[in-house]
Amino acid sequence: MKHAIAVLSIVLFVLAMSLLLTVAGGLYIPSISVRPLAELYLNTTYNPWNREFTALSPEGVTAIVWDYRGLDTVFETTVFYLAIIASIAIARGIRKYSALPGKELGLSLIVRTVTRITTTLIVAVAISIALHGHLTPGGGFQGGATAAVAPLLILVAFSHYFLLKRGVSKDLMLVIRSLGLAGIGIVAIATYLVAVASGLPGFVLQNQPKPLSPVNLPAYLGGQLISGTLWFFNIFEFFAVMAGFTIVFLLLAIPERIARGGGEK
Amino acid sequence: MIDPVTYMLTLIILCMVVNLGIALYGIFFRPSLVKKIIAVTILGDTANTFAIMLGYRRWLSPEKPSIPPVLLNYANATKEALAEFSARAVDPLPQALVLTAIVIGLAVTLFLVFLTLQIHRLYGTTDVREIRKLRG
Repeated sequence: MKHAIAVLSIVLFVLAMSLLLTVAGGLYIPSISVRPLAELYLNTTYNPWNREFTALSPEGVTAIVWDYRGLDTVFETTVFYLAIIASIAIARGIRKYSALPGKELGLSLIVRTVTRITTTLIVAVAISIALHGHLTPGGGFQGGATAAVAPLLILVAFSHYFLLKRGVSKDLMLVIRSLGLAGIGIVAIATYLVAVASGLPGFVLQNQPKPLSPVNLPAYLGGQLISGTLWFFNIFEFFAVMAGFTIVFLLLAIPERIARGGGEK
Repeated sequence: MIDPVTYMLTLIILCMVVNLGIALYGIFFRPSLVKKIIAVTILGDTANTFAIMLGYRRWLSPEKPSIPPVLLNYANATKEALAEFSARAVDPLPQALVLTAIVIGLAVTLFLVFLTLQIHRLYGTTDVREIRKLRG
Protein backbone atom coordinates (compact mmCIF):
# COMPACT_ATOMS: atom_id res chain seq x y z
CA MET A 1 0.00 0.00 0.00
CA LYS A 2 2.74 2.39 1.06
CA HIS A 3 4.70 1.40 -2.03
CA ALA A 4 1.74 2.04 -4.32
CA ILE A 5 1.27 5.52 -2.87
CA ALA A 6 4.94 6.22 -3.37
CA VAL A 7 4.84 5.16 -7.01
CA LEU A 8 1.65 7.14 -7.55
CA SER A 9 3.14 10.28 -6.03
CA ILE A 10 6.23 10.00 -8.23
CA VAL A 11 4.08 9.53 -11.34
CA LEU A 12 1.95 12.51 -10.36
CA PHE A 13 5.09 14.57 -9.76
CA VAL A 14 6.45 13.73 -13.20
CA LEU A 15 3.10 14.39 -14.87
CA ALA A 16 2.68 17.71 -13.12
CA MET A 17 6.20 18.77 -14.07
CA SER A 18 5.68 17.71 -17.68
CA LEU A 19 2.46 19.68 -17.87
CA LEU A 20 4.32 22.67 -16.49
CA LEU A 21 7.07 22.23 -19.05
CA THR A 22 4.69 21.77 -21.96
CA VAL A 23 3.58 25.28 -21.16
CA ALA A 24 7.07 26.48 -20.35
CA GLY A 25 8.65 24.86 -23.43
CA GLY A 26 6.93 27.39 -25.64
CA LEU A 27 8.21 30.21 -23.48
CA TYR A 28 11.70 28.89 -22.91
CA ILE A 29 13.58 29.62 -26.12
CA PRO A 30 17.26 30.44 -25.62
CA SER A 31 18.02 34.09 -26.14
CA ILE A 32 20.02 35.22 -29.15
CA SER A 33 22.43 37.01 -26.81
CA VAL A 34 24.20 35.51 -23.81
CA ARG A 35 24.43 37.04 -20.34
CA PRO A 36 26.69 40.09 -19.93
CA LEU A 37 29.15 38.05 -17.86
CA ALA A 38 29.46 35.43 -20.62
CA GLU A 39 29.84 38.27 -23.13
CA LEU A 40 32.80 39.53 -21.12
CA TYR A 41 34.37 36.07 -20.98
CA LEU A 42 33.94 35.51 -24.72
CA ASN A 43 35.32 38.94 -25.55
CA THR A 44 38.44 38.62 -23.43
CA THR A 45 39.31 34.91 -23.48
CA TYR A 46 41.69 35.45 -26.41
CA ASN A 47 42.07 39.11 -27.20
CA PRO A 48 45.59 40.34 -28.03
CA TRP A 49 44.26 43.91 -28.34
CA ASN A 50 43.07 43.95 -24.74
CA ARG A 51 46.15 42.70 -22.91
CA GLU A 52 45.02 43.99 -19.52
CA PHE A 53 41.99 41.69 -19.27
CA THR A 54 42.63 38.77 -21.60
CA ALA A 55 43.52 35.25 -20.49
CA LEU A 56 45.18 34.59 -23.88
CA SER A 57 43.53 31.20 -24.15
CA PRO A 58 41.42 30.46 -27.24
CA GLU A 59 39.43 27.95 -25.17
CA GLY A 60 36.84 29.79 -23.11
CA VAL A 61 36.12 26.95 -20.71
CA THR A 62 39.72 26.37 -19.62
CA ALA A 63 40.21 30.12 -19.28
CA ILE A 64 37.29 30.26 -16.85
CA VAL A 65 38.32 27.12 -14.99
CA TRP A 66 41.89 28.19 -14.28
CA ASP A 67 41.99 31.95 -14.81
CA TYR A 68 38.77 33.87 -14.22
CA ARG A 69 37.45 31.49 -11.58
CA GLY A 70 40.71 29.80 -10.60
CA LEU A 71 40.01 29.92 -6.87
CA ASP A 72 36.81 27.90 -7.38
CA THR A 73 38.78 25.23 -9.16
CA VAL A 74 41.44 25.12 -6.47
CA PHE A 75 38.77 24.43 -3.89
CA GLU A 76 37.12 21.86 -6.14
CA THR A 77 40.47 20.16 -6.36
CA THR A 78 40.45 20.16 -2.56
CA VAL A 79 37.06 18.41 -2.55
CA PHE A 80 38.46 15.84 -4.97
CA TYR A 81 41.50 15.41 -2.71
CA LEU A 82 39.28 14.85 0.33
CA ALA A 83 37.07 12.30 -1.47
CA ILE A 84 40.15 10.26 -2.41
CA ILE A 85 41.61 10.60 1.10
CA ALA A 86 38.31 9.37 2.59
CA SER A 87 38.35 6.35 0.26
CA ILE A 88 41.89 5.51 1.33
CA ALA A 89 40.91 5.91 4.99
CA ILE A 90 38.09 3.41 4.60
CA ALA A 91 40.38 0.88 2.95
CA ARG A 92 43.14 1.20 5.55
CA GLY A 93 44.41 -1.80 7.48
CA ILE A 94 45.11 -3.88 4.40
CA ARG A 95 48.71 -4.99 4.49
CA LYS A 96 51.02 -6.17 1.73
CA TYR A 97 49.92 -9.14 -0.30
CA SER A 98 50.93 -11.13 -3.34
CA ALA A 99 49.33 -13.53 -5.79
CA LEU A 100 48.59 -17.10 -4.88
CA PRO A 101 51.28 -19.21 -6.59
CA GLY A 102 50.50 -21.39 -9.58
CA LYS A 103 47.34 -19.58 -10.64
CA GLU A 104 46.47 -18.29 -14.11
CA LEU A 105 45.42 -14.65 -13.77
CA GLY A 106 43.68 -12.24 -16.07
CA LEU A 107 41.38 -12.70 -19.04
CA SER A 108 42.07 -14.55 -22.29
CA LEU A 109 44.98 -13.86 -24.64
CA ILE A 110 42.75 -12.00 -27.12
CA VAL A 111 41.49 -9.57 -24.49
CA ARG A 112 44.98 -9.02 -23.14
CA THR A 113 46.44 -8.28 -26.58
CA VAL A 114 43.66 -5.84 -27.41
CA THR A 115 44.09 -4.19 -24.01
CA ARG A 116 47.80 -3.69 -24.70
CA ILE A 117 46.96 -1.78 -27.88
CA THR A 118 44.02 0.25 -26.56
CA THR A 119 45.76 1.20 -23.31
CA THR A 120 48.55 2.84 -25.27
CA LEU A 121 46.03 4.69 -27.40
CA ILE A 122 44.05 5.83 -24.35
CA VAL A 123 47.13 7.21 -22.61
CA ALA A 124 48.24 9.01 -25.80
CA VAL A 125 44.81 10.59 -26.28
CA ALA A 126 44.63 11.56 -22.60
CA ILE A 127 48.00 13.31 -22.71
CA SER A 128 47.01 15.16 -25.86
CA ILE A 129 43.73 16.24 -24.23
CA ALA A 130 45.61 17.56 -21.20
CA LEU A 131 48.40 19.31 -23.13
CA HIS A 132 46.03 21.01 -25.59
CA GLY A 133 43.57 22.00 -22.87
CA HIS A 134 44.07 25.72 -23.49
CA LEU A 135 43.67 25.40 -27.29
CA THR A 136 40.94 22.81 -27.87
CA PRO A 137 38.18 21.36 -25.68
CA GLY A 138 39.90 19.50 -22.89
CA GLY A 139 42.20 20.11 -19.97
CA GLY A 140 43.68 18.53 -16.89
CA PHE A 141 40.44 17.16 -15.45
CA GLN A 142 39.33 15.56 -18.69
CA GLY A 143 42.77 14.24 -19.57
CA GLY A 144 43.28 12.80 -16.10
CA ALA A 145 39.89 11.10 -16.06
CA THR A 146 40.63 9.63 -19.51
CA ALA A 147 44.07 8.43 -18.48
CA ALA A 148 42.62 6.74 -15.39
CA VAL A 149 40.72 4.38 -17.71
CA ALA A 150 44.03 2.74 -18.71
CA PRO A 151 44.89 1.30 -15.25
CA LEU A 152 41.24 0.28 -14.86
CA LEU A 153 41.42 -1.70 -18.11
CA ILE A 154 44.70 -3.29 -17.04
CA LEU A 155 43.19 -4.22 -13.68
CA VAL A 156 40.32 -6.00 -15.40
CA ALA A 157 42.25 -7.64 -18.21
CA PHE A 158 45.54 -8.49 -16.49
CA SER A 159 44.62 -8.63 -12.76
CA HIS A 160 45.75 -6.53 -9.83
CA TYR A 161 49.09 -8.31 -9.44
CA PHE A 162 50.23 -7.35 -12.94
CA LEU A 163 50.22 -3.68 -11.89
CA LEU A 164 51.73 -4.39 -8.46
CA LYS A 165 54.63 -6.34 -10.01
CA ARG A 166 55.43 -3.34 -12.22
CA GLY A 167 55.53 -0.97 -9.27
CA VAL A 168 52.18 0.76 -9.84
CA SER A 169 51.20 0.71 -6.20
CA LYS A 170 48.97 2.88 -4.05
CA ASP A 171 51.98 4.57 -2.46
CA LEU A 172 53.57 5.55 -5.79
CA MET A 173 50.26 7.00 -6.97
CA LEU A 174 49.92 8.92 -3.70
CA VAL A 175 53.35 10.44 -4.33
CA ILE A 176 52.43 11.41 -7.91
CA ARG A 177 49.15 12.88 -6.78
CA SER A 178 50.77 14.87 -3.98
CA LEU A 179 53.37 16.19 -6.42
CA GLY A 180 50.56 17.21 -8.79
CA LEU A 181 48.71 19.03 -6.02
CA ALA A 182 51.91 20.72 -4.84
CA GLY A 183 52.54 21.78 -8.44
CA ILE A 184 49.09 23.36 -8.61
CA GLY A 185 49.85 25.25 -5.41
CA ILE A 186 53.20 26.47 -6.70
CA VAL A 187 51.77 27.62 -10.04
CA ALA A 188 48.94 29.38 -8.17
CA ILE A 189 51.42 31.58 -6.31
CA ALA A 190 54.11 31.70 -9.04
CA THR A 191 53.05 35.07 -10.41
CA TYR A 192 52.74 36.46 -6.91
CA LEU A 193 56.27 35.31 -6.06
CA VAL A 194 57.61 36.87 -9.27
CA ALA A 195 55.87 40.11 -8.36
CA VAL A 196 57.25 40.10 -4.82
CA ALA A 197 60.76 39.36 -6.08
CA SER A 198 60.61 42.30 -8.49
CA GLY A 199 58.97 44.67 -6.01
CA LEU A 200 55.67 45.02 -7.92
CA PRO A 201 52.11 44.37 -6.78
CA GLY A 202 50.87 40.89 -7.67
CA PHE A 203 47.91 38.57 -7.21
CA VAL A 204 47.53 34.93 -6.28
CA LEU A 205 46.28 32.87 -9.28
CA GLN A 206 47.20 35.70 -11.65
CA ASN A 207 47.88 34.68 -15.22
CA GLN A 208 48.34 37.60 -17.60
CA PRO A 209 49.13 41.22 -16.66
CA LYS A 210 46.32 43.04 -14.90
CA PRO A 211 45.81 46.83 -14.60
CA LEU A 212 47.32 46.93 -11.11
CA SER A 213 50.00 44.32 -11.62
CA PRO A 214 52.12 44.14 -14.77
CA VAL A 215 53.82 40.80 -14.02
CA ASN A 216 52.81 37.62 -15.87
CA LEU A 217 53.99 34.16 -16.80
CA PRO A 218 55.06 33.91 -20.45
CA ALA A 219 52.10 33.32 -22.75
CA TYR A 220 54.31 31.88 -25.48
CA LEU A 221 56.96 29.21 -24.99
CA GLY A 222 59.23 28.73 -27.99
CA GLY A 223 56.68 30.38 -30.26
CA GLN A 224 53.88 28.11 -29.06
CA LEU A 225 50.91 29.52 -27.18
CA ILE A 226 50.81 28.08 -23.64
CA SER A 227 48.59 30.78 -22.07
CA GLY A 228 50.80 31.40 -19.05
CA THR A 229 49.65 29.43 -16.02
CA LEU A 230 46.91 27.46 -17.79
CA TRP A 231 49.28 24.98 -19.41
CA PHE A 232 51.05 24.23 -16.11
CA PHE A 233 47.78 23.95 -14.23
CA ASN A 234 46.51 21.46 -16.81
CA ILE A 235 49.64 19.32 -16.58
CA PHE A 236 49.63 19.18 -12.78
CA GLU A 237 45.88 18.61 -12.60
CA PHE A 238 46.30 15.77 -15.12
CA PHE A 239 48.71 13.98 -12.79
CA ALA A 240 46.63 14.69 -9.67
CA VAL A 241 43.38 13.41 -11.19
CA MET A 242 44.95 10.43 -12.97
CA ALA A 243 46.81 9.25 -9.87
CA GLY A 244 43.84 9.90 -7.60
CA PHE A 245 41.50 7.75 -9.65
CA THR A 246 44.16 5.07 -10.04
CA ILE A 247 44.48 4.85 -6.24
CA VAL A 248 40.76 4.26 -5.87
CA PHE A 249 40.67 1.70 -8.69
CA LEU A 250 43.62 -0.15 -7.14
CA LEU A 251 41.90 -0.22 -3.76
CA LEU A 252 38.58 -1.31 -5.26
CA ALA A 253 40.29 -4.19 -7.07
CA ILE A 254 41.78 -5.73 -3.92
CA PRO A 255 40.51 -9.33 -3.78
CA GLU A 256 37.89 -10.06 -1.14
CA ARG A 257 40.06 -12.79 0.37
CA ILE A 258 42.69 -10.21 1.32
CA ALA A 259 40.30 -7.38 2.18
CA ARG A 260 38.50 -9.58 4.70
CA GLY A 261 41.62 -11.28 6.04
CA GLY A 262 43.68 -8.10 6.47
CA GLY A 263 46.49 -9.25 4.17
CA GLU A 264 49.64 -11.24 4.89
CA LYS A 265 51.25 -10.72 8.24
CA MET B 1 1.25 24.10 -36.10
CA ILE B 2 3.90 23.51 -33.46
CA ASP B 3 7.32 25.03 -33.98
CA PRO B 4 10.00 22.28 -34.26
CA VAL B 5 12.42 24.19 -32.01
CA THR B 6 9.79 24.49 -29.30
CA TYR B 7 8.94 20.83 -29.77
CA MET B 8 12.56 19.70 -29.40
CA LEU B 9 13.16 21.94 -26.40
CA THR B 10 10.05 20.64 -24.69
CA LEU B 11 11.12 17.08 -25.43
CA ILE B 12 14.58 17.65 -23.95
CA ILE B 13 13.24 19.31 -20.81
CA LEU B 14 10.59 16.60 -20.48
CA CYS B 15 13.24 13.87 -20.68
CA MET B 16 15.25 15.66 -18.01
CA VAL B 17 12.25 15.87 -15.70
CA VAL B 18 11.47 12.18 -16.23
CA ASN B 19 15.12 11.42 -15.43
CA LEU B 20 14.77 13.53 -12.31
CA GLY B 21 11.68 11.55 -11.30
CA ILE B 22 13.44 8.23 -11.86
CA ALA B 23 16.46 9.42 -9.86
CA LEU B 24 14.35 10.64 -6.95
CA TYR B 25 12.38 7.38 -6.96
CA GLY B 26 15.64 5.42 -6.89
CA ILE B 27 17.10 7.48 -4.07
CA PHE B 28 14.05 7.39 -1.83
CA PHE B 29 12.36 4.07 -2.49
CA ARG B 30 14.95 1.51 -3.61
CA PRO B 31 16.35 -0.28 -0.58
CA SER B 32 19.65 -1.33 -2.18
CA LEU B 33 22.54 1.07 -1.63
CA VAL B 34 24.00 0.21 -5.04
CA LYS B 35 20.79 1.30 -6.74
CA LYS B 36 20.74 4.44 -4.65
CA ILE B 37 24.23 5.29 -5.91
CA ILE B 38 23.15 4.70 -9.51
CA ALA B 39 20.17 7.00 -8.93
CA VAL B 40 22.44 9.67 -7.44
CA THR B 41 24.63 9.61 -10.55
CA ILE B 42 21.53 9.94 -12.76
CA LEU B 43 20.42 12.91 -10.65
CA GLY B 44 23.82 14.54 -10.94
CA ASP B 45 24.01 14.05 -14.69
CA THR B 46 20.52 15.48 -15.13
CA ALA B 47 21.46 18.56 -13.13
CA ASN B 48 24.62 18.95 -15.23
CA THR B 49 22.68 18.67 -18.49
CA PHE B 50 20.25 21.27 -17.25
CA ALA B 51 23.09 23.64 -16.35
CA ILE B 52 24.65 23.26 -19.80
CA MET B 53 21.28 23.84 -21.45
CA LEU B 54 20.90 27.13 -19.58
CA GLY B 55 24.05 28.36 -21.31
CA TYR B 56 22.81 27.66 -24.83
CA ARG B 57 22.08 30.52 -27.22
CA ARG B 58 19.79 30.78 -30.22
CA TRP B 59 21.24 30.54 -33.72
CA LEU B 60 21.81 33.86 -35.46
CA SER B 61 20.41 32.36 -38.65
CA PRO B 62 20.23 28.85 -40.16
CA GLU B 63 23.56 29.55 -41.92
CA LYS B 64 25.17 30.81 -38.71
CA PRO B 65 24.58 28.24 -35.96
CA SER B 66 25.89 28.60 -32.41
CA ILE B 67 29.48 27.46 -31.95
CA PRO B 68 31.40 26.09 -28.96
CA PRO B 69 33.32 28.70 -26.92
CA VAL B 70 36.60 27.77 -28.64
CA LEU B 71 38.35 30.20 -30.95
CA LEU B 72 39.78 27.88 -33.60
CA ASN B 73 41.86 30.17 -35.80
CA TYR B 74 43.54 32.06 -32.98
CA ALA B 75 46.98 32.47 -34.56
CA ASN B 76 45.77 35.00 -37.15
CA ALA B 77 42.62 36.25 -35.49
CA THR B 78 41.28 39.61 -36.53
CA LYS B 79 39.00 41.93 -34.63
CA GLU B 80 36.15 40.97 -36.96
CA ALA B 81 36.70 37.27 -36.25
CA LEU B 82 36.67 37.98 -32.52
CA ALA B 83 33.43 39.97 -32.82
CA GLU B 84 31.82 37.13 -34.76
CA PHE B 85 33.10 34.62 -32.20
CA SER B 86 31.57 36.47 -29.26
CA ALA B 87 28.35 36.94 -31.23
CA ARG B 88 27.94 33.21 -31.92
CA ALA B 89 29.65 31.24 -29.14
CA VAL B 90 27.57 29.74 -26.35
CA ASP B 91 27.97 30.66 -22.68
CA PRO B 92 31.19 29.00 -21.42
CA LEU B 93 30.50 29.49 -17.71
CA PRO B 94 28.03 26.60 -17.14
CA GLN B 95 30.35 24.31 -19.09
CA ALA B 96 33.28 25.24 -16.85
CA LEU B 97 31.25 24.60 -13.71
CA VAL B 98 29.89 21.31 -15.03
CA LEU B 99 33.36 20.14 -16.03
CA THR B 100 34.62 20.26 -12.46
CA ALA B 101 31.30 19.00 -11.11
CA ILE B 102 31.64 15.83 -13.21
CA VAL B 103 35.11 14.98 -11.90
CA ILE B 104 34.18 15.79 -8.29
CA GLY B 105 30.98 13.78 -8.74
CA LEU B 106 33.00 10.83 -9.99
CA ALA B 107 35.32 11.04 -6.97
CA VAL B 108 32.42 11.28 -4.53
CA THR B 109 30.68 8.37 -6.28
CA LEU B 110 33.82 6.29 -5.86
CA PHE B 111 33.82 7.19 -2.16
CA LEU B 112 30.17 6.08 -1.87
CA VAL B 113 31.05 2.85 -3.67
CA PHE B 114 33.79 2.31 -1.11
CA LEU B 115 31.38 2.87 1.75
CA THR B 116 28.92 0.41 0.24
CA LEU B 117 31.64 -2.15 -0.34
CA GLN B 118 32.76 -1.84 3.26
CA ILE B 119 29.17 -2.17 4.51
CA HIS B 120 28.80 -5.30 2.41
CA ARG B 121 32.03 -6.70 3.83
CA LEU B 122 30.97 -6.02 7.41
CA TYR B 123 27.26 -6.85 7.29
CA GLY B 124 26.93 -9.05 4.20
CA THR B 125 24.12 -6.96 2.73
CA THR B 126 23.50 -3.60 1.04
CA ASP B 127 19.81 -3.47 1.91
CA VAL B 128 19.19 -0.42 4.11
CA ARG B 129 16.28 -2.16 5.87
CA GLU B 130 18.62 -4.98 6.93
CA ILE B 131 21.44 -2.65 7.90
CA ARG B 132 19.14 -0.62 10.13
CA LYS B 133 18.32 -3.71 12.20
CA LEU B 134 21.98 -4.58 12.76
CA ARG B 135 23.97 -3.37 15.74
CA GLY B 136 27.71 -2.80 15.99
